[in-house]
Amino acid sequence: MGNRVNVIGVGMTKFAKPGASKDYHEMAQEAGLLALKDAGIGYNEIQQAYAGYVYGDSTCGQRAVYELGITGIPVINVNNNCSTGSTALYLARQAIEGGLAECVLAIGFEKMEKGALGTKYNDRESPMGMHIPVMMDVQGFNNAPPAAQMFGGAGREHRWKYGTKKETFAKISSKARVHAANNPYAMFRELLTVEEVLASPEVFDPLTRFGCCPPTCGAGAAILCSDAFAEKHGIKNPVYIAAQSMATDVPSSFDEKSMIKMVGFDMTKNAANDVYEKSGLGPEDIQVIELHDCFSANELITYEALGLCPEGEAEKFIWDEDNTYGGKFVTNPSGGLLSKGHPLGATGLAQCTELVWQLRGTADKRQVEGARVALQHNLGLGGACVVTMYRRD
Amino acid sequence: MSELRFDDRVAIVTGAGGGLGREHAMLLASLGAKVVVNDLGGGIAGGDGESSSPADAVVAEIKALGGEAVANYDSVTDGEKVVKTAIDTWGRVDIVINNAGILRDMSFKKMAQKDWDIVIAVHLQGAQSVSMAAWPYMLEAKFGRIVMTTSAAGIYGNFGQANYSAAKLGMVGLANTLSIEGASKNIKVNTIAPIAASRLTETVMPPDLLENLKPEYVSPLVAWLAHEDCEETKGLFEVGAGYVAKLRWQRTKGHAFCVKSAAITPDAVAAQWDKITDFDEAENPADINAALGPVLNAINNPSKGGNEFIDVDLAMAGEYTAENSYDERDLSIYALGIGAAEDPLDAKELAQVYEMSGDGFKAAATYAAMPAMNAMLEGAKTGKFSMPGLNYGFDRVLHGEQYTEIKQTLLPSATLSHTFSVKDIYDKAPNAVVIVAMSSKDENGNEVVYNEQTIFVRGAGGWGGDRGPSASANELPSRQPDQVVVEKVPLNQALLYRLSGDWNPLHADPNMAKAFGFDKPILHGMCTFGYVGRHIVSAFCDNDPRYLKSIKVRFAESVFPGETIETRLWKEGGKIIFESRVQERDLVVIRHAAAELFDELPKAIAKKVVKMPKVTSVDAPADAPEEEINDAIILADIFSALSSFIETRQNLIKEVGTVFQFDVSDPDSNWFIDLKNGEGSAANGLAEKADVTLALSADNLMGILTGKADAQKMFFSGDLKISGNMMASNKLTVLADLDPALVVAAKTERLANGAGATDVKATAVAPVVKVAPQAGTIFKALATKITKNKKVNAIIQFNVGSPDSTWTVDLAKGSVSEGDASGDANSDVVIDLEDKVLAQLVNGVDPAVLFQKGELSVSAGDVLLAHNIEFFEGVL
Repeated sequence: MGNRVNVIGVGMTKFAKPGASKDYHEMAQEAGLLALKDAGIGYNEIQQAYAGYVYGDSTCGQRAVYELGITGIPVINVNNNCSTGSTALYLARQAIEGGLAECVLAIGFEKMEKGALGTKYNDRESPMGMHIPVMMDVQGFNNAPPAAQMFGGAGREHRWKYGTKKETFAKISSKARVHAANNPYAMFRELLTVEEVLASPEVFDPLTRFGCCPPTCGAGAAILCSDAFAEKHGIKNPVYIAAQSMATDVPSSFDEKSMIKMVGFDMTKNAANDVYEKSGLGPEDIQVIELHDCFSANELITYEALGLCPEGEAEKFIWDEDNTYGGKFVTNPSGGLLSKGHPLGATGLAQCTELVWQLRGTADKRQVEGARVALQHNLGLGGACVVTMYRRD
Repeated sequence: MSELRFDDRVAIVTGAGGGLGREHAMLLASLGAKVVVNDLGGGIAGGDGESSSPADAVVAEIKALGGEAVANYDSVTDGEKVVKTAIDTWGRVDIVINNAGILRDMSFKKMAQKDWDIVIAVHLQGAQSVSMAAWPYMLEAKFGRIVMTTSAAGIYGNFGQANYSAAKLGMVGLANTLSIEGASKNIKVNTIAPIAASRLTETVMPPDLLENLKPEYVSPLVAWLAHEDCEETKGLFEVGAGYVAKLRWQRTKGHAFCVKSAAITPDAVAAQWDKITDFDEAENPADINAALGPVLNAINNPSKGGNEFIDVDLAMAGEYTAENSYDERDLSIYALGIGAAEDPLDAKELAQVYEMSGDGFKAAATYAAMPAMNAMLEGAKTGKFSMPGLNYGFDRVLHGEQYTEIKQTLLPSATLSHTFSVKDIYDKAPNAVVIVAMSSKDENGNEVVYNEQTIFVRGAGGWGGDRGPSASANELPSRQPDQVVVEKVPLNQALLYRLSGDWNPLHADPNMAKAFGFDKPILHGMCTFGYVGRHIVSAFCDNDPRYLKSIKVRFAESVFPGETIETRLWKEGGKIIFESRVQERDLVVIRHAAAELFDELPKAIAKKVVKMPKVTSVDAPADAPEEEINDAIILADIFSALSSFIETRQNLIKEVGTVFQFDVSDPDSNWFIDLKNGEGSAANGLAEKADVTLALSADNLMGILTGKADAQKMFFSGDLKISGNMMASNKLTVLADLDPALVVAAKTERLANGAGATDVKATAVAPVVKVAPQAGTIFKALATKITKNKKVNAIIQFNVGSPDSTWTVDLAKGSVSEGDASGDANSDVVIDLEDKVLAQLVNGVDPAVLFQKGELSVSAGDVLLAHNIEFFEGVL
């Protein structure tokens, strides 16, 4: 066992659509300063920084944290697709847990372009070079955004296998808006009914437009430290990381001709089980969850992968409203990626920010009553999945 | 949050005997700092008592609260002495708060020199003196925090405070530079502009306002700026009544004048005043490098200048885009407009106006100049066309030169997108010359034509800009011309030409022409351009317009309809030099002109191939092995499928009544489709008696038969040659109904029989698959086979498309009926699918696969019940 890792400061910008945000380094500065202020420390206390982003030339991380101070510390740029933010967090956690540093910054930012995700480098093997053929084999390829085809395909598979209704997917999007309505940092805060979600233009059956997260610009930051550091700075009873795990693809992603598996069901399952084992806590101990709802279909299959409900029973879980206030868990109180937005590099840190607020009891109208244990799930195709369990005593 | 502490820090607060200074000192001391309380004593007028009591009183207060402090009574202009107190007492100085000040308010008119001097001395020199004395200690300790106190009066000005304003803003400048010089030694220097009740403000503000401006609302900012955790430096903050905000400089985008010439005059500055003072696109330079950026940019990229008609920099940066289409009709009208086919029996020129011409339709070469120009004229007419920086009206404009370069042979019809930009602007004072570049691209983004129009703008020059090249190009050789073409322009030619888009009444209306000083309407310059283009084509290209590559002319004079144009042409190396004159008036109308020809015709650039995943490019059976799917479909597969198709569509024999022969090249082969004799056929080889013969490449035949290519376009571009009954070839469109699944099935069959992909001719042509049955057939067959299913009590409704029909299957009753589920028994699940997908189900394709591919969807009800539709397998 290494050192306990505390999350003593968090901060994020309000998420914005492409073109409506500040530049990446300014967004990072805003999130970073908020996290420093939240922790009550100066930037000169930061010994290392892990900076996550997907789109941008190399060493944007330095340019971003230089807005906070030019102190000559190690700055590591992190790129891990949609799980970039939590990968930065993962590395920062390792540094503290391993006793290599006392106080570390994990920061993530993204300045995205309009439109669906695409590839930037077409002169070389795609990072999805092993995933795409699975999809081609199972369902072909059409003009819809590739990510929507993949996660939508997983939704289709769930429909056929378990008889899941299209309304069920829409219900997730509708719930996300109910939660986001109370989140001033979220991009979309207007309520949507299940009917409105279903009536929006179809992207890839069963996904309609409101079943897909939007391209987003934003930044998030978290400051992690050791017990000794927290004590020295008089920080009492901080939120800490009870366990954290990262998983990448296993053979089932490619071998089983299953879209659910291809989009990382088993990555999630492996990372979650590892976290449950390390922490000695199970799903039943958790009150609040931020999970990777890049598409409503992924939130649905993730309920099962995280073990919040048995496999094949996500539909019942959703209609029993066990995913919102008053139910067994509150999933994505922030509005999730669907409503809050999904700036790839920032998402993992925005999830962390929300959960730290929840555990401190400072989440305002979104506060989940009695939140003591929180779970974060952040997944990127390609692939990587980081699951983190937070506690506050 | 942890509390910020100042333990072991030594701070000097000047003017700390009362007001803000006292509050700063008290706060710092309460947080652990050791404080030098400097105060000369005295009220607002300063120096009138030099009683030590205010400083002593504050020290006593601090000590009473358990803090450490020492008094100092020196003037801040004796900074050494003030700092000495700190050094003598505690051996160090970490923090200097420059707060001391006095007022000598009076209007500038009444101000005496001494009033100026003393205010500058106490505020500016005082701050300098104390800071300078402390500076070496801070450098040595690699730590320092200095806070200057400025004022809104300094930042914004205030009546009666000229001395105070100057001193106060001087302190901001001092702080800015100290922050830079101290940066490497962790010395941070900031400035506050406080509003608080103090000895300085009590005389000018009402008590109830002062009540809200307590000094203790200011001191926390000062303490934070003085703390070691605070990284802020060179900051300027407004603070008061609990409000704290940061200020920064802002600069307009400004205007860069052309400095190469003498154009930067006071008038020029006045003319740009709106722009110079417009904060719409402002930026916030934070350091001297940022401040110098635009200036350096102006040096490196000097402005090219301009005047009220032309802003050269703006114009050259601008771009305008537009799109339009043309077809054979436009080309024919244009060709007639430039005098083509005056002799309707001249086959070569007929090909430019007759779309069914035996030799293939060919576009008049100079039409290449028209689409972009028409797009511009259309844009100007609708007000959409405006190039930023070009602010002159059409009334000033003369079309001086035209350059047209053809990159690809013009197709008989096309949609082109045009990009307009300004290539160059020359100042031929008093006139200006603007060269507009126009690039026209096809729908695949390949450039088809590049045009340049040189526009002569009357009275728009004179800003002292570049005069541009002056050497005359394309001088005529001294020898006799190699060719001379003489042609009389018919009297009504301008009326014909204007139908191609230039509607200027000058060319049609006799009164308008008179108003412009002409005896009668003149011919369009671009019509003359078309004439000379035809002259080149007739002199050197055997009248095949496709060989003209580029043409450049300068318009010297106008031509009147009815006059005779004589074009003299010289072939000089790879170039043709020419000049045109009007015989009747012995006047040169086109000069400095040249053209280039293609040695061989430019190859049409292939349409960009959109890489589609191979699996989905055809409706392949999902269970087919992958290596088969990846194999290409060959002509044999298509004719095999056609054969099956014809077998089921016997009505075509009567409707079409034609035998088509295909002479295929690359690789060579012969195929025919007989939709005339007996039951019809489609096969490899030669038909006994063909009605129409089509000669084309194998790829193009594949394209036509699979509906991916347009035979008519192919015909016009020369890729398809037709002999025999040309009109009959149109009937080929009936084959568009061919189901691609049949083709795939034929290929699968071929591969199963071991015929290789390259073995085209060896394939025996025989019907290999049955045609897809209609929904009716399938459901009727299902009705005879389906039995009651006691386990599953479900009613399944099928909405079939292409052709549309609705069917209901009741599993419990074992019944099948046409129409939707009616009465009490509403359907439990509704399945939407195409007719052809039914056939796939019959062939045993897994419904799960079809659902995953989206070919079968469940629009209502329980998806799980849809699993039952496996019952279709093998019903036929």
